[in-house]
Amino acid sequence: MLPATLLVVVFLVGPFYYMVYTALTDLSFADASHAGAFVGFDNFRKLMRSDPFFWSSFGLTLKFVVIAVLLEFLFGFALAFLIFRFVASQRLLTTLLLVPMMIAPVAVGLIWRLLLQGDFGMLTYYMRKVGLLAQNGAVLSVPELVFPTIVAIDVWQWTPFVTLVMLAGMMSLPRAPFEAAMMDGARPFQIFRDVMLPLLRPVIALVLLLRGIDAFKEFDKVFLMTGGGPGTLTELVSIYAYRVNFRNWDLGYGAAVAFMIYLVVLILCSVFYKAVYWSNSKPASAF
Amino acid sequence: MIDQSTNRAWRRFAWAVLLVAVVVALTPYVWMLLASFKNRVDLLSSVPKWVFTPTLSNYPAVFIDKEYWPLAINSVLISVSSTVLCILIGAPAAYGFARADFPGKEDLFFFFLTTRMAPPISIAVPLFLFFTALGLIDTIYAVVIAHTSFNLSLVVWMMRGFFAEIPKEIDEAAMMDGRSRLGAFFFVVAPLAAPGIGATAVLCFILSWNEFLYAFILVAFEGRPLTVGIPGLVTPHGTLWGQVAAVAIVATLPIVLFTFLVQKQLVRGLTFGAVKG
Amino acid sequence: MAIVFDGVTKAFPDGTVALHALDLAFDPGEFLVLLGPSGSGKTTACRLLAGLERPTAGRIMVEDQDVTNLPPRLRGMGMVFQNYALYSHKSVYENIAYPLRIRKMAGAEIDRSVRAMAELLEIGRYLDRRPSQLSGGQAQRVAVARALVWQPSLCLMDEPLSNLDALLRLHMRTELKRLHRELKKTFVFVTHDQEEAMTLATRVAVLREGSLIQFDDPREIYRRPANRFIAEFIGRPAMNTFDGTVRGGVFHADGFTCPLPGRPDGPVVLGIRPEQIQIVDASAGDSARFAVDVVEAVEPDVLIFARSQASKLIVRTASDDRAFKPGQPLHLRFPANALHVFDATSGARLP
Repeated sequence: MLPATLLVVVFLVGPFYYMVYTALTDLSFADASHAGAFVGFDNFRKLMRSDPFFWSSFGLTLKFVVIAVLLEFLFGFALAFLIFRFVASQRLLTTLLLVPMMIAPVAVGLIWRLLLQGDFGMLTYYMRKVGLLAQNGAVLSVPELVFPTIVAIDVWQWTPFVTLVMLAGMMSLPRAPFEAAMMDGARPFQIFRDVMLPLLRPVIALVLLLRGIDAFKEFDKVFLMTGGGPGTLTELVSIYAYRVNFRNWDLGYGAAVAFMIYLVVLILCSVFYKAVYWSNSKPASAF
Repeated sequence: MIDQSTNRAWRRFAWAVLLVAVVVALTPYVWMLLASFKNRVDLLSSVPKWVFTPTLSNYPAVFIDKEYWPLAINSVLISVSSTVLCILIGAPAAYGFARADFPGKEDLFFFFLTTRMAPPISIAVPLFLFFTALGLIDTIYAVVIAHTSFNLSLVVWMMRGFFAEIPKEIDEAAMMDGRSRLGAFFFVVAPLAAPGIGATAVLCFILSWNEFLYAFILVAFEGRPLTVGIPGLVTPHGTLWGQVAAVAIVATLPIVLFTFLVQKQLVRGLTFGAVKG
Repeated sequence: MAIVFDGVTKAFPDGTVALHALDLAFDPGEFLVLLGPSGSGKTTACRLLAGLERPTAGRIMVEDQDVTNLPPRLRGMGMVFQNYALYSHKSVYENIAYPLRIRKMAGAEIDRSVRAMAELLEIGRYLDRRPSQLSGGQAQRVAVARALVWQPSLCLMDEPLSNLDALLRLHMRTELKRLHRELKKTFVFVTHDQEEAMTLATRVAVLREGSLIQFDDPREIYRRPANRFIAEFIGRPAMNTFDGTVRGGVFHADGFTCPLPGRPDGPVVLGIRPEQIQIVDASAGDSARFAVDVVEAVEPDVLIFARSQASKLIVRTASDDRAFKPGQPLHLRFPANALHVFDATSGARLP
């Protein structure tokens, strides 16, 4: 226990405090006159008041999180329910479905880049064939398509996660309330609405939160597919933070941006923790 | 139950949907797999080629001629050592959390969680400065340490559940038999939790193997794992997609196979022990 | 106008056969108890009647209608589950109201029915609580209320009392009997507890390994058990049985003999209930000599475990000033009218 705590302190808490400290300085590797002098809350002031890029990337990220997580949940829940209800031996099927979420996000980015190439992309070819795509260019450089595409790819990758967790939740539901509802005269849909959904509520909350936290942090795939472009059309906060830190080398300000992202995740995280605790105190739940 | 025909129609519908889902889930990956066996002409064909004469040349071209094989070794080294460290440090910590009771325990536990959930980008900056100061930047050690610390909380969260499922009486019996608390853990509890430890280790391995951002920022050259090496092959003009695909397949196939192994424990790992699979 | 199991067989996918061609018919208004040890198929029979399982073969008829393929909701039966199966996310009130809501009853009507049923079961004070805030006994009452609130003609109960502690179990038993009398519904009650069966039932169906082995009123089952199995299952403590042989009108077992006139020579099983064995003086004739082994006081009675060579038995007698010490000889008489004789191989009762 002690070494674990020490390691975390040294390598996670240490950097964390260092990040907070850096956020209060003007440290920049690009400008020799900014050697890390203490500037108080200047960086945060600038961030809150006069950084349109931060706020637009923040808004874009929220949009990304809400749309992607919602779609993932709808598809994932539907698939989980179909498997739960109609498939007897689920192991092979779920394992096949899991492939997208298990492979490295970097590889996912590359796979989709290949599929969506302008001249020889497999998917672009079929999209043109069925009339979904008019132009001859790469899908990822078409401004109207690029954001829906990164959402779709996130949905492709993470729907299996929702399926997997919801399926586990469904499998662990007690049978008795379902039989009781049958005896009470409920029809299949009523059983679904009045018994299954309420019993699954803690798992649903959990899935939404975990996916929300994760989607908020999205970096690898989008970075590899678009680098945030064209322009800043797909510049999520993580990518913006990367740009400020490792392209502009404006580390003081970059730390402030990183801290803001951390703060949002921390809030989501404590909600997650409460949710788990809240459900732990209820004996009949799925936990 | 009342009318069999409706039920059968539903079943058929369900299987149709699931089949489509599997096809959608797998096709992109399969396409990448096919691409890794295509020559340049087949790759750049504007009409997708599903049937072609396979070539094995992409693999040696990238791994030997472009010297990508050390990256695969780096990936293995990083994943294995960070996993071993994680288990060695994390399992006893998780055991402590499962058994001991002390004030602030739940807060500390929550703190462990936040370290895992923190966006990598917000930790990467200070970590970069930190390792630069230590002179460890651009070495494999930096990545191993980074991966160990971000996977540690996962180990603690996951393993606490496994240990909690082992009855306390087992340790107590071992201690009555004359073992110390530590002895009870190593010789009695840990072997009982072995399947859980194994699953946790595999999950750690997968997450470390797939990780990109820390590695990308901490090592630019020496000690690069495969994930960091892949983007280097993508250039605005004239990307050799066959070689990219070959690297991508080597970087993902072990994970796909591992997934079959730990599928049962996966849910628990990915939900931080909140849902048992 | 009866409920009929007609050659009902149930085999589960894993190969176990829970019921073998069960034939059973009972009347509306009965308090039928399905009694048997675990694995006897009693719960399966109950679930088949409920519609929660489908038989592999055979038919189930309710009032001349074949319900074999009907889903539970169309059978008009209420059910009380062993672990209560309350909806943990609904209040007690909503738990009881649920069957009525399903039936789209008007709000005022629901309220009236729920409160009346809660009154009857003495749970009116807990209507706002969550199931997790109830004790086992209260939860059980809620489960009963929910099963009965919509006035089903038949109420199934699958070991409803087995999760309750001993005192509550006795209390609920009386309550159920009262409820049956007041509501005049058919109750089907599954239990492995012979005492519950004997006290509650108008008729008891004893099941063993998926077959019906006796179907009769409780008194008859106690007095004339149909075979050795039931004899050893019913009664507290159960009937003493001895393997032995009849030779010339006398039953010979290991360690004692006992007159058994009018029986042909050959092997039989002799049974006698502990409470019908008489303790007599050493001088009395016709007595068998046993030795006291263990004595248990179950006031107001005393149980004496005695043995003679390999033969062991239990005697139940009123507790009084007599002292029984381990090792002390015990002279016992088996009254002729208290003896049961079973076939040595099949275990069936011999007349």
